[in-house]
Amino acid sequence: MRRQLMDIICCPVCKGDLALTVNKEDKDEIVEGSLRCGKCAFDYPIEDGIPNLLPPEMHKK
Amino acid sequence: MKGKKIDEAKVKKMVRDGYAKVAVSGGCGCGCGPQCTSSAISKELGYSEKDIGEVPEGANLGLGCGNPIALASLKKGEVVMDLGSGGGFDCFLAASRVGKNGKVIGVDMTPEMLDRSRMNAKKGGYRNVEFRLGEIENLPAADNSVDVIISNCVINLAPDKLRVFSEAFRVLKPGGRLMVSDIVITRPLPEKVMGSVRAYVGCLSGAIMKDDYLKMIRSAGFRSPRVVGETQYPVSYMKNDESAKAIGKEAGLTEKELERLGASILSIRVSAVKG
Repeated sequence: MRRQLMDIICCPVCKGDLALTVNKEDKDEIVEGSLRCGKCAFDYPIEDGIPNLLPPEMHKK
Repeated sequence: MKGKKIDEAKVKKMVRDGYAKVAVSGGCGCGCGPQCTSSAISKELGYSEKDIGEVPEGANLGLGCGNPIALASLKKGEVVMDLGSGGGFDCFLAASRVGKNGKVIGVDMTPEMLDRSRMNAKKGGYRNVEFRLGEIENLPAADNSVDVIISNCVINLAPDKLRVFSEAFRVLKPGGRLMVSDIVITRPLPEKVMGSVRAYVGCLSGAIMKDDYLKMIRSAGFRSPRVVGETQYPVSYMKNDESAKAIGKEAGLTEKELERLGASILSIRVSAVKG
């Protein structure tokens, strides 16, 4: 996920802003990390460069 | 709606599972069988040789019902969101149209599809395309943030289509365009087909009547949706298609009934504006 995408994405449930935490970043994009919605108290993971913004009930495991 | 309906919660899971398989195998899933190639189908649906040659190999899974008109309308610098981006075929075509100052965001709920489209993006060196896992009923995009929403033969798979259109309306900027292609029907499906999982995943039993489809787009807030293109689904594919034959067999349809069913299926391109 590229940083510039932050201004478009939001929480799929409440549509609120997400707080980005970066665990791994290469020259192009954020590879591992998370996007937290404070209001919903949920961390949407970023894995392999893909943010998982499925609603919480659809997250596996 | 009449007929036996499939449990809505189960629908999403089976659509995900069904398309995960397609993503892994390289597929054909929706309306086409193993005997026909993805690019042959795409040509029939209105994509040019140039379109097909332009994208990385493996991005075109031959699953769509065709959205070339929407792609042709894109302008440099626009932000485009593709609902149900699959292997990424339309995203990559859109990426070339909007140029380096534009952006294309593909949303798909199938992790296996996302892996595939991301791999394709790398292969093709696309810097203005992004993919995210998401549900089209719950778009992870801010209000008024997108210029154009495209979607190619996907919304029929969503149990709550009005919600999909409402979400599209929300994320579009004022004046933004909805340009989708999809499968609709002109006659109610036989009840026997309505309960078939196979028919649902194959873009059939989730399809609704054309008028209802347009009405829903209007209910979501869009001004005057227009049908800009309409084609009878290639019946020749349907007749020789293994999955169509399987649907017919499962539902106990005669060959005539299957033909009649085929004749009631339309692929439409709809354009609407957030006014």
